[in-house]
Amino acid sequence: MYVAQGVHGLAYGMLLFLVASGLTMVFGMMGILNIAHASFFMLSAYICHQVLALVGSFWLALLVAPVAAAAVGVLCERLLLRRVHAFGHMGELILTVGISLVILEGVKVFWGTESLPIHVPAILEGRLALGGLDYPVYRLFVIGLALVVLGALAALLYTTRLGMVVRAAVSDSGMVNALGINVPVVFMLVFGTGTWLAGVAGVVIAPILTVYPGLADQMGMDAFVVVVTGGLGSLWGAFLVSLILGELNSYGVQFVSQLAPVLMFVFMAIVLAFRPMGLFGERE
Amino acid sequence: MTPAVRRWIGGGLALAGLLAYPHLFGIYFTNVFVTFGIFALYAVSFNLLLGYTGLLSFGHAMYFGAGGYGTALALTHIKGLPLLPALVIGLAAALALAALLAPLMVRVSGTAFSMLHLAFAQLMFVLALKLRAVTGGEDGIGGFRIPPLSIPGLVSIDMKNPSSFYYFAAAVLGLSILVLWFITKTPFGSVIVGVRDNPRRVAYLGYRVPSTKAVVYLLSAGFAGVAGSVYALFQNLISADALHVSNSFIPVSMTMIGGIGSFFGPILGAAIFGVISELTSRYTERVDLVVGLILILVIMYAPLGFMGFVDTIRARARPRVVPPGATEPAR
Repeated sequence: MYVAQGVHGLAYGMLLFLVASGLTMVFGMMGILNIAHASFFMLSAYICHQVLALVGSFWLALLVAPVAAAAVGVLCERLLLRRVHAFGHMGELILTVGISLVILEGVKVFWGTESLPIHVPAILEGRLALGGLDYPVYRLFVIGLALVVLGALAALLYTTRLGMVVRAAVSDSGMVNALGINVPVVFMLVFGTGTWLAGVAGVVIAPILTVYPGLADQMGMDAFVVVVTGGLGSLWGAFLVSLILGELNSYGVQFVSQLAPVLMFVFMAIVLAFRPMGLFGERE
Repeated sequence: MTPAVRRWIGGGLALAGLLAYPHLFGIYFTNVFVTFGIFALYAVSFNLLLGYTGLLSFGHAMYFGAGGYGTALALTHIKGLPLLPALVIGLAAALALAALLAPLMVRVSGTAFSMLHLAFAQLMFVLALKLRAVTGGEDGIGGFRIPPLSIPGLVSIDMKNPSSFYYFAAAVLGLSILVLWFITKTPFGSVIVGVRDNPRRVAYLGYRVPSTKAVVYLLSAGFAGVAGSVYALFQNLISADALHVSNSFIPVSMTMIGGIGSFFGPILGAAIFGVISELTSRYTERVDLVVGLILILVIMYAPLGFMGFVDTIRARARPRVVPPGATEPAR
């Protein structure tokens, strides 16, 4: 019972990190939290629904939807965000509010407001007995997929030259730019990858939570808490806090079901009261 | 005519217009105007933080909601509570919440300030949904008694009559906006602009930056609370929707669209907002789609909002004369 709950928490924490990792890297380079980030996560879930309705293959949807969401993200970055960069952070931040409003309402126009169920392939249904306990196969699949994606991301970030450039740009984009590296292109890459990661999380979470317009609010808020608490721009902080929040949510629902959503904010308030820059953050 | 005379005439005409309004336009547009007034005060209180102090809050709805819930709860639970004390309780609720959060909030700025507000407002939203016994959950608190505005022994005006409520709301909201306007013209108003532009220098001049921020924060929260309180009285209902993120983004949009650069920008923004939702809601439910698009366009092409746009055109139309002793308007 407790173990199964822990596995649920782990699955959610992993997904949370998929969303939050892009958010925190974009913050590192741009200096603002992208309010629209979770909207791309939701958009991906809706595209997944559309692909399922047209083709009927979950695997295809898992491949296509995040890429489509990332394409929209990159377009927004190219056509909108980049142009207001010169006006300072306030403009960028509010622009992302505008983008999130448009995506939210656009989604309602195209797909309506009711929640749409997503069915997983038969192979992922059912439960798996393991060591005297049985787990839903889908949750294990989620954890496995997240581990693979995160492993690939970590390998890219920590073993390649491109990863090195990205990490450097996240911590000091001005200096990297001065060294002759085309930071806007790197930023576009990071933004695209970030929205792609959020998109993967969107598709994967769709069968668990169903697809509805409140999806962005729910996940977005959790991701913001992760990024702010973990330390703005810190991947490790985001990873740690994602897992903590995942477990906090899952055990919270079990023990104090009414107040479970509040636990997260209490955790954040305690951390920020002692460290306003977050657990691993270096700037406010 | 001297500017002073012109200002008195302008003010007199505006007052006469306000007084005549419900008789000229009927109940429907009277109610539209009350809604506009509520959101105008809400946006102006928000702009005291954003435009004057440089603090962008993504959770101003919690003070709007605190005011609304304060008044609604007081009227539900206290028998025979008169109108004005109910309003004051709404104000006090918002102030109490702000006083609780201020020690944390004055220490942060920039993105952290915005995000902390987003998070705390969401916390309030979740609490309002979950603490059903107190707040009524999704349904909120509705159908409470709206007391008449009475001066004991003299008059008692029924507030259920839309046009009397209009006068009451116009007086409360108008006075609040005037008080805020007056505050921005005092030396204190200049200090808060200094805090926005160069906090270190303001500290060096001997002003205490955190306490200054705290005072502005309380003022802004308190007047948002008044707006929320009038809103609750007007709708005879306050629900968790008032605390939702989208309600926090409303003053952001209004201020940006109207113009962050001036005191009256947010009021203009509230008016533009009102017209947009009046017009679009006849054709579609998706008013926010239009608002979002306009918001994007404004930030891309007119980052100082409508007011800034007007100023630019005016500046082009005639050469600029700076009167002696004038300072740059607050941005």
